[in-house]
Amino acid sequence: MSEAYQNIWVFVETECGKAKNVGFELLNPARELADKKGCKLVAVVIGKDVEHVAKDAICYGADSAILVEGDEYEYYSTDAFATALFELIQKHKPETVIIGATNNGRDMGPRVSCRLKTGLTADCTALDIDEETGCIAWTRPTFGGNLMATIECPECRPQMGTVRPAVFKKAPYQADKTGEIIREDIHVAADAIRTKLVERVKEVAEAVNLEEADIIVSGGRGVGSAEGFATIRELADLLGATVGCSRAVVDAGWMPHAHQVGQSGKTVAPKVYIACGISGAIQHVAGMSGSDTIIAINKDEEAPIFEVADYGIVGNLFDVIPAFIEAYKKIKA
Amino acid sequence: MNILVCVKQVPDTNEIKIDPETHTLVRAGVPSIVNPFDTYALEAGVQIKEAVGGKVVVVSMGPEQAADALKTCLSVGADAAYLVSGREFGGSDTLATSFILSHVVKAVEEKEGAPFDLILCGKQAVDGDTAQVGPELAEHLGLPQITYAMDLTVEDGAIQVKRECDEGYDLMTTSLPAVVTVVKLPTEPRYPTIRSKMAAKKKPIPVLTAEDLKIDVARCGLKGSPTKVKSTYTPSREKNGMKIAGLPADEAAAQLATLLTDAKIL
Amino acid sequence: MSTYNTLTAEIIEQLQAAAPGNVITGEDINPDYSKDEMPIYGTHAPDCVVVPRSTEEVAAVMKICNENKIPVTPRGAGTGLAGGAVPLYGGVLIDTTKMNQILEYDLENFVVRIQPGVLLNDLAEDCSSKGLLYPPDPGEKFACVGGNVATNAGGMRAVKYGATRDYVRAMTVVLPTGEITHLGATVSKTSSGYSLLNLMIGSEGTLGIITELTLKIIPAPKKVASLIIPFEDLDTCISTVPKFKMAHMDPQALEFMEREIVLSSERYIGRSVFPQVIDGITAGAYLLVTLDANNEDELDALIEQAAELVMEAGAIDVLVADTPNKMKDAWAARSSFLEAIMEETKLLDECDVVVPVNKIASYLAYVNKTGEECGLTIKSFGHAGDGNLHIYQCSNDLTEDEFKARVDKFFELIYAEATALGGLVSGEHGIGSGKIKYLVESVGETNMRLMEGIKHVFDPNMILNPGKVCYRL
Repeated sequence: MSEAYQNIWVFVETECGKAKNVGFELLNPARELADKKGCKLVAVVIGKDVEHVAKDAICYGADSAILVEGDEYEYYSTDAFATALFELIQKHKPETVIIGATNNGRDMGPRVSCRLKTGLTADCTALDIDEETGCIAWTRPTFGGNLMATIECPECRPQMGTVRPAVFKKAPYQADKTGEIIREDIHVAADAIRTKLVERVKEVAEAVNLEEADIIVSGGRGVGSAEGFATIRELADLLGATVGCSRAVVDAGWMPHAHQVGQSGKTVAPKVYIACGISGAIQHVAGMSGSDTIIAINKDEEAPIFEVADYGIVGNLFDVIPAFIEAYKKIKA
Repeated sequence: MNILVCVKQVPDTNEIKIDPETHTLVRAGVPSIVNPFDTYALEAGVQIKEAVGGKVVVVSMGPEQAADALKTCLSVGADAAYLVSGREFGGSDTLATSFILSHVVKAVEEKEGAPFDLILCGKQAVDGDTAQVGPELAEHLGLPQITYAMDLTVEDGAIQVKRECDEGYDLMTTSLPAVVTVVKLPTEPRYPTIRSKMAAKKKPIPVLTAEDLKIDVARCGLKGSPTKVKSTYTPSREKNGMKIAGLPADEAAAQLATLLTDAKIL
Repeated sequence: MSTYNTLTAEIIEQLQAAAPGNVITGEDINPDYSKDEMPIYGTHAPDCVVVPRSTEEVAAVMKICNENKIPVTPRGAGTGLAGGAVPLYGGVLIDTTKMNQILEYDLENFVVRIQPGVLLNDLAEDCSSKGLLYPPDPGEKFACVGGNVATNAGGMRAVKYGATRDYVRAMTVVLPTGEITHLGATVSKTSSGYSLLNLMIGSEGTLGIITELTLKIIPAPKKVASLIIPFEDLDTCISTVPKFKMAHMDPQALEFMEREIVLSSERYIGRSVFPQVIDGITAGAYLLVTLDANNEDELDALIEQAAELVMEAGAIDVLVADTPNKMKDAWAARSSFLEAIMEETKLLDECDVVVPVNKIASYLAYVNKTGEECGLTIKSFGHAGDGNLHIYQCSNDLTEDEFKARVDKFFELIYAEATALGGLVSGEHGIGSGKIKYLVESVGETNMRLMEGIKHVFDPNMILNPGKVCYRL
């Protein structure tokens, strides 16, 4: 059975003619898998006016790309995208299909895998090949991250999985790399798209949602003034983080209460908590010790915040943060 | 308006412990709860029922104890509940689970004497975190779907949904019947009142077996699941607690940035 | 009138030798050390902060201060509400938060031995993970247990289980002279002389510094649920309270709250838990009741009995929080009252007067009327089950002086009324520096003389926590 199925596909999600990062990211680990297996790595690009995305995908590591273009793919819809991907898989029979675990990826993936009666592993954070079976070993967190599970799909093809964004890094962009772009003409009639997008509403980030933030950059007394928070905000903006603060800051009137983390503020458990100029009073720590990774910047080497921090820098936050922003931008560039 | 809500009984993942030796879940002493996203799905269903009339039915697949979860649902607005239980169903992955549920939908429609206009699921269960059963159920039933709903209204036979997206929401509509998976709502799920709680206690919860569902058992349980769990392990959570001191700010910052990006923390 | 010496460089050196690495001076002193949660009672910075790690360090520091007549103020997490931990006369502040180890459980005698800086929250969670319960449950979960003992803190569960005093079996104390002594024992009865242990409890750090505690714990009840009970008005709500006792029901917690404060709190935590309109009736007040039992059926029967009782007494409905998450949400609103009031209020004072349970309704009516007469906004809630009321005076437009003057008048009137009804000044927060004058009026000169005499025996140089409880300088 598996003879007929070959190659590894990465679905590169697009919207309004632009690619989402996760597709390009996934080409990197998929390249390794393809090399190990000795098969081709194919990017699948569905969208409106997205030939440039197909080209970019090749420059990020794909051997070739399959391109489906049409007006109906400008915005995501379950019916149009699931139909197109399903038809492509039926025709080309890939052995593995990797999809970014965005809201849209996790909306489309199960529709397609179910139509194919094959397995789909959700929201993976690591990929490998099982030496013994040759199957993809999909590793993912379960039970709220308390347990990691490695899952395989031994009998059905293609084997499919969604992979979490920002877990893998993009490979370097090779501008002169070329590869075949295969155009497929698949169209979905308007009345076969049963959901309609009425309006896209951008919500002003007015409500401070500390509890659901993945990253929080928090400032304490060490920030020194309301104006000092500009530095905290700059770092937060760079990381897509929410700004938090300690009680001292609220008492001093530098920040509104909605931003307060700790005993009389919010209890938070983000993936990353960056405490800047926060000494780490028990009341504050009680509100943030559940964070996955705690990073502390404080000029007082003895500050209790370092006791709970995974990473710390002893230094003036107004020297360290700008330097960090610069270094971080350089790495990500 | 006939509404079906699929719920799952899950261990409270805030209380979960993993046996460090066997890498399996320590179930003793961990409270079972209704999957939190499902409680929003149910609340959405009940609010729609209150707005346009109709009936809310809940189903859950699981062992006998999952009846507790259904009792809880009955006390906060569900009108009827069915438990899907049987050895054949154990070990089902999302494909097998959604296949079983698609048969449950048909069987319950027959018992209730009317088709469902709307099927609601929580975005995902907090134990498995797959978010796949809802869309796969929709696929089995050939229905349209909207996932990640954060607000739902029904008007003139169509449903309007605010679908969570990166910078706000997409306002979407689809005709009914449809499957919608719910993230959260503008309001918290209601509390049971003493009357609703007592009434729920007295309500029978019929059990549906493989036989009742007239289902191909080869497509259920471990047998019917294309994905297999190969191994599990506990992620290490050691605090390495490294502190950079005595370096100039730019060197320290560069070192930290490298560490954090290499470790994929940022 | 005592006069104190100022800290010299030489004394600081001695302190540094006594507690190496744990002495903070000058600009390194965190301004938080100057106040507690009720800054209206004034802020005073210490000249030096010692963060000891052991009983011996506390004793050594105390000895130096006693010899040099330096005032010493003990402080835990600083969550007090009566100015008790504010170093009114400067000097040395001893911060016990680093003595925060849970030392040992003795499950044959059902006691736990801890250091005083353990947070109530940490103790509660640690006990809970072992299937045990430390019953005292003051609203402030991030207070140190040492401070709880020093104020005999009560809390929500006092109605069934009693206050902190009922759970202290033994303690190690450093006296103002620097001597170390052990009080009490791991026994459940004692008839062995004056109870110095009980003198220490509630002495607010004026008689000695607690450096170790042996606390009674109990097996945790297996099943708990909370009821949210809306009433149309406060009177009906409060008059329901004694009926629980008469029906031999023993709720673990029995709190009342008025509509206004619930709304503030829900705005503050950003979610709505309490029903506002039920069957067209607007709820004016609520009871929040927690029941416990050893199994599900027993609990269900209790819930049913309680529901019948309150519905008969005029409740609009009964909502059941029967899952851990729902209970957490219901109590989150209750636990945020103080923060919610602080958020919406510029000037704030508070009292935690206690009156006999059957007098709550009429007393609150008096309080609200008096508040109006004094031109103050009054918000109140409290432990209905034990008559302990939290009454907040709020203003957003008065000057601080005018506010203080009005609050003073208000306090005089309502404390007098409480005394007349057979009540006392403080149910659980303590006297600190803020409430001394009302204590005098309430208990009288004879009792004050006894208290001051006791103070002199413990603290001949009068250096420990001066200006608090009974020590009028």
